[in-house]
Order: sequence, then C-alpha cells, then structure tokens
Amino acid sequence: MTPATPSFSLPGWAGRLPLALITLVLAVPVLTAGLSGLLAGGGETWHHILTTELWSTTLTTLGMLALTGGLILAIAIPAAWLVTMYSFPGRAVFEWLLILPLAAPGYVLAIAYYDLLNISGPVQGALRDVTGWGARDYWFPDITSLPGLCFVLAVALYPYVYLTARSAFTTTSICAIDAARTLGARPFAVLWRVALPGARPAIVAGLTLALMEAAADYGAAGFLNVRTLTVGLFRAWSSYGDAAAAARMALILLAIALTLQWVEKLQRGGAGVQATSKRWQSLDRPALSPLKGWLAAVFCALVFALGFGVPILRLVWIAVETGDHGRNFTGALTTSLLLASAGAAVAFIVGITIALTARRKGWLSWMAKAAASGGYAVPGAVLALGGIVALNTLGLNLAGGLALVVLIWIYAARFTAAGAQPMEAALARAPRSMGDAARALGAAPAIRVWKIDLPVALSGALVAALILFVEILKELPATLMLRPANWDTLAVRAFAYASDERLAAAALPCLLSTGAGLLPVILLSWRLSKARPGS
Amino acid sequence: MFRSLKLPPILGSLICSALVLAACSGPSAPQQRPENASENNGFLNIYSARHYDSDQEIYDAFEEKTGIRVRARESGAAQLLETMKAEGDASPADVILASDAGTLWRFEDAGLTQEVHSQVLDAAIPAHLRDPDGHWFGLAKRYRTIVYDKSAVDPGEVDEFMDLATDRFDDNICARSSSNIYNLSLMSEIIERYGSEAAADWAEGVVGNFAIDPAGGDTDQIRAVAAGACQVALANHYYWVRLATSGASSDREAANATALSFASAGDGAHVNVTAGAVAAHAPNREHAVAFLEFLASPEGQAMLVSQTKEYPVVAGVPLPEGLMEIPDDLKQSDLSLDVLGRNQVEAQQIYDRAGWP
Repeated sequence: MTPATPSFSLPGWAGRLPLALITLVLAVPVLTAGLSGLLAGGGETWHHILTTELWSTTLTTLGMLALTGGLILAIAIPAAWLVTMYSFPGRAVFEWLLILPLAAPGYVLAIAYYDLLNISGPVQGALRDVTGWGARDYWFPDITSLPGLCFVLAVALYPYVYLTARSAFTTTSICAIDAARTLGARPFAVLWRVALPGARPAIVAGLTLALMEAAADYGAAGFLNVRTLTVGLFRAWSSYGDAAAAARMALILLAIALTLQWVEKLQRGGAGVQATSKRWQSLDRPALSPLKGWLAAVFCALVFALGFGVPILRLVWIAVETGDHGRNFTGALTTSLLLASAGAAVAFIVGITIALTARRKGWLSWMAKAAASGGYAVPGAVLALGGIVALNTLGLNLAGGLALVVLIWIYAARFTAAGAQPMEAALARAPRSMGDAARALGAAPAIRVWKIDLPVALSGALVAALILFVEILKELPATLMLRPANWDTLAVRAFAYASDERLAAAALPCLLSTGAGLLPVILLSWRLSKARPGS
Repeated sequence: MFRSLKLPPILGSLICSALVLAACSGPSAPQQRPENASENNGFLNIYSARHYDSDQEIYDAFEEKTGIRVRARESGAAQLLETMKAEGDASPADVILASDAGTLWRFEDAGLTQEVHSQVLDAAIPAHLRDPDGHWFGLAKRYRTIVYDKSAVDPGEVDEFMDLATDRFDDNICARSSSNIYNLSLMSEIIERYGSEAAADWAEGVVGNFAIDPAGGDTDQIRAVAAGACQVALANHYYWVRLATSGASSDREAANATALSFASAGDGAHVNVTAGAVAAHAPNREHAVAFLEFLASPEGQAMLVSQTKEYPVVAGVPLPEGLMEIPDDLKQSDLSLDVLGRNQVEAQQIYDRAGWP
C-alpha cells in the first residue's frame, strides 16, 4: 500500500533526454495534424460539419465506446475467470483459443459478419427458405447499426481484457483467493469481492487499450456505415476534400484518449493492492459440476466462435465458392512481415523506455505516456497526414527511402501504447519492497534498474513484442498512404479488393494476414500459460 | 556479483532508441530517391486510385512494349492527393489514374496535373470525356444505373433518376452511403441539370423512400433487390455485369431476377469515367503521355475494361466478355465531366441535410 517510490533515478539529464525525445517523436504526428487543422481556419466545410454532424458523431462515438466496453467486460471477465479458476471440459484448449481473435483485424470481422447477416446473406436467406417469409415479413437484428458495430468491435477486441484479466487473476490474488475460499466465501463473492478489486487496475488498463483502438477504428465502422467521429473524419477528408477539417476532428479523438488515460491513472492510484505474499504456487482448480462445466465450455466455445471461428470460416467459404482469387500474394506477405517486424522493433524500444521510466512520478513521464496514448486513439491516416506535414515543415519530401522511415515512425507513434502497457503491467506486479531492499543494500540506481526492473519488465516484453507485431500486421490506413510504390501489404491488397466489392478476392489476403498473425498469437498464448511464477 | 563494468543494457537501449528516433525524426535521414531518380529514363511511376488486378497486366504489357519499367502506388484518392501534395515538386508521380472524373478534377484543382496536347488522345477520346485543356483524359466509361426487380417494376417507371423521389417507390429503394463517390457524382450532375433546390428535394424524396438504411456496396444493393427487400436500387452497371458473369450461382440468380435501366440524370444516361492525367512535376513526362496513349489504343482499351466490365471510350473496340451492348437510341449525357468535381462538396452537403447516411 506504500506510495510508489522512484526506483529509477539516473542523473537528471540522462534520465530525461531519451524520454523527452520519445515524447517529441510520438507527439509530433498527432500535434502537427491537429495544429495544421486549427491553423487552416474553419472554412465552409468546417461550419457545415459543426452544424450538421459534429455533435451527433461525438455522441455516437461515446455511445459506441460505452456499449463496446460493456460487452468486452461481459465477455472477457467471465472467460478469464473460468479458465483461470476452474477445471471444465476443454479448459486447457480454450485457454489459448480465446486469444486467437487478436489475429483477425476488426475490418475483416465486419466484412464477414456483414456478408453473413445482411438481408441478402445466407443466414436471412436460409431463414426465408425455411419459413417461407418474404424479405419484409420479419424483423432481424441489423448488423449495420450502432449495436452491430459494438458487437463486432467487442468480439474483435475482447482479447486485450481477457489477457490482462487472466494474468491478473493468476498472479496477484492467489493467497487472498485461497483465504476467501477457506473462509467459505461463495464463488461469486470470491470473484466480486476479492479477485476483481485486485485485478481491477489490470482490467481497466486492458479495457483502455481496447477502447482507444475502437475509437480509432475506421475499417469496421466505415464498412458497417455507422457515423462515428472517425468515419465522419474520413468523410470530411474524402467527400469534402478537407484534410484540415479531418485533422480538427482528430483533436476530439485525442481528447477522448487523454480522458481515458486519465481515468485509468485515477483508478489505479486509488487502490493499489500490493501482493505481499511470496507464496507463488499453482492454483487448485476445483472441478465444476458436470452441468456447470458444460455450460462453461459452451460459453467459451461461443466466444471463440463469434470472435474467430464463424467469420474466418465464412471467409474461407467465400474464397472457395467463387474461385476469384486475385493475384499472387507472396510479395505482399513478405512486405507485411517485413514492415511488421521493423515497426514492432522500433515501437518496442520506445515502449520499454516508457515502461521503465513510468514509475517516476513526473510530468515528462506522463507526457510520454500521453503522447503514446494519443497516437493509439487517432486513426493511422491522421498520424500519416501529420507526419507528412511535419516532413514538409522541415523542407523534406516524402519520396523513396524516406517514405519507409516515415512509415516506421508512424507505426511507432500509433502503436507504442499497446507495447508499453504489458511491460508496465509486468513492472507493476513486482513487489516494491524488492527495489527498496536493493536500495537499502546500497545498490546504485542504474544497477537497480539493470538487476530488478529490466528483468521484471522483460517478462512482459514478449507479450509486448507479439502484440505490436500483430497490430502492425493489421494496420491499413497509414500503410496505404505512406508506403513506397510496390510495397503492398496483405492489408492493402485486401482493402483494394474489398473497395472494389470483390469479397472473394479480398478473403484470401484477409486469411493470409490472419494466418501470419496466428503464429505470434499462439506463441503469446503459450508464453502466458507458462507465466505463472513458481510453476 | 554485480558486474558493474559492463554498460547496463538499459543505457544501451536508451541510446539505441534515441538514435533510431533521431533518424526517424527526419533531418539526419538520408534523402535518397534511388528508385525514382529523374535522370533514369527507364521508369514510369503511376499513382493509382484504381484497384484492379488487370491494371498490373496493363503495366506489364506496357513494359513489354516499350521497355519502360512501371512502378505503381495504389491508394485511396483523398490520401493519394495528400501524399502528392506532400511530395511537392519532388514527387516521383508521372501518371495519375482514378476511377472518377471528379477525383481527377480535384488533382487538377490542387495544381497536381499538367496540360497535355496529344493528337492521338484528342482523336481517340470524345471531347466531353476529357478536360478541355488536356489536364485529364477519360479512358473507360461507367454508368450509374437503376437496378430494378423485373417482376415488380415496369422499365418505363425507372427511365429517370427523378422517378425515384415519387410515391411510387415509397419504402422500395435501396442505396449505399451518400459519401460514396458514385452517389456524389450522380448528385453533381443532378445539381447541374435541375438546380440545387430541385436536387435537394430529390434527395429528400429518395431518403423518404428508403426500404432499409444505406449500407454495404452497390453489389449488396442489387442482391437486396433480388432478395425482395426493395424494388429498385442505385448501382454502377458493371457490378450487375459481374454478378451476371460470376462463378457463384447465387450471384447469377441475383442478376437474373433484376434488370438495368440506363436512367437519365436530366439529359441522358449518367456517365462517369476512369481517367488518367500527367502529373504536374512528372519526371518522365514523355513516358507518361506514351502510357496514356497506350491506354487509348485498341489494345490498351481492351485490357483496361476486360476485368472491370467498363465500356471502352474509343469507338470500335470490342466489349469485354459478358457486357451488354448499349442500345443505339440511348441518349447519353454529354455533361462536361469537370462538373462532377466542381459540385462535389455541394452534393455531399445536400445529402447530409436530407439525412442520407
């Protein structure tokens, strides 16, 4: 319960310089875009947006975040709780299956669900065949609606919370849980009164990430035609040709991101439950009764099917059915892997620097985190625009090799937050007393970082690296804008086919991209299942 | 135990990250354009807002024919525009391709195209399908049509877009989002032909007749008509043709249940074009002109439309497989296509006010 003590205190400038640099580099794209939008002055377009849609798109975005957040919690927490605390049929398989949706981009799920559920799709078609109804004789839930979008985003993004909740349930509160069980607490009370309060910081951190991702989503919302801020932003840009108005709208997204980060910090500061016991042990998983066990299995199977199984199988089906396969994708696959690796490496280095300095209380550390969060909640296209404007200000042109450098830079600005978070979470789990003991024994600050913080942070490092890799693999808008000629990724190819309404041809690059993300995700899952200290 | 002589890797990683970031932040990054250097005359750089596999075959054919190596960059039109603005006079772009005349007008308006005077192009392409000053050239035609349920609608009921705003089609129209470029271009012509007020009334009438909320693409609207969700839909002609020639039987059934009307947008069927332009700072100007001339040749035309199922602009070029002949007596709009670009902002505003999502 002790307040955070800085365990990292290099001499002032040495500690601050890299952080200041990082803040600058992460913040430049979003700030340049925003500033250039503000400076460009509000023209006719801006007035039109202000009077017709700004208020409603903002409300839609907030409603979308609330509903998506609720759905994510309703999916992720029971799933994480069940696979961590109980044994039931298929538990060991579900433990890692439930992470797989991380590999499937949100826009891919949107395409698949729209194709399945729209009025001329196979589900409604079968319903009409069976019942003999006409197309207008019945009510059917509309996937192209706000709830439909929230459903798609929730099944796409719940793994963020599932991952953090699962590791929090496993590592932080075992003794308390054991004690509560011994004292005869009912299972729900154990979850509600013991496990959740302990895991809350981790769960909220995961949820914050997921919601920032949802706020920046264009692929799914655009495809399902739900007017969120991000969709309005792209409309301002493409229909009105007004990039400045688009950049202004991005500032609202930025404000939402900073609010989310602030709330996250607030709730974390309030209730830091520190695990003080060193009793790492494997948890006894009581077996559920056969009925409850099967219910648990069905729940997990349903979550997996909705987030991965059904949409991916539908894509496979479309690809096979029409035989429209587009061109060869080996080049695009190589480009995807190359860019994702390079982007993940840079974002990783930036992220670990932020994580290691995050425990310092100070405005600079906060600024660095804010810059990373800001980038994470703003669409890649806006960051790319900011990068281009910044480049121009420096008198440079986006051409040739420089375009690649800018692209990697934008990847870092966009995704660092997703990498810093798991490492920070790992650090937060290290008992503060360890650092205090080292200090008492006279270890120099740099040595404490080297011997204590870094090894602990690295336990979250693989998770961070894999998440970054998968995220960048799925990235579309910034890649679309910045990549040099002949540098098409799988996401770019899929977009090209989808925008030409050739779903069958789009299905293959979508599947390949998901497949390429699957390996790291399985690796991630395996790493996490080994992550129980002491086991 | 502490091997304190060794530099803690944290410092190493900090320095490393600083270096990477410094490199990323711009000034010290090498400014190289090896692939696009203008002194190398063997290249042609194409910026395309089209996304067709067959385009790659065209590039290959052009390479084969001329020995000029083609590099293509495909992106959304609005993003391509910002990218080109950012590249300024160092832009490697030689040719700009887009599947909408309004888009090309935007590039022209931003000063990103240049005048081209080519007898070959002027002779091959009808005057109203190219810019009067040669800033862009229409290369293939696409029609925005009304797709209708053959069993419920008489062709005579849908020979004008204005028909869609009448009570006849109450609760019977399917359409995609208004921000789609094809809907914007259609509205741009309607504004030009009927005036802003009548255009706004039309939009409101159509919105009032929607059977379901706009979503999905043109293909989805055609399928919705076939499924009985509505009687008429807006769609470009080639989406219907692709369903009719699809490998999936459900697609062909959807096409069978429906038919196309090349409806009038005020003075003849609404025509749009896939168009090309030579970039303002094209490092390889001659290659760019040669490429556009190749696209206007019978060989280029045939390749351009083979997969897209657009109509060739050059007379006498055979239609791609599966594409129906345009009726001889069909009146086609001869609207100067730069209007599609000029009216685009107003078009979106009218749609927004009418509540067309």
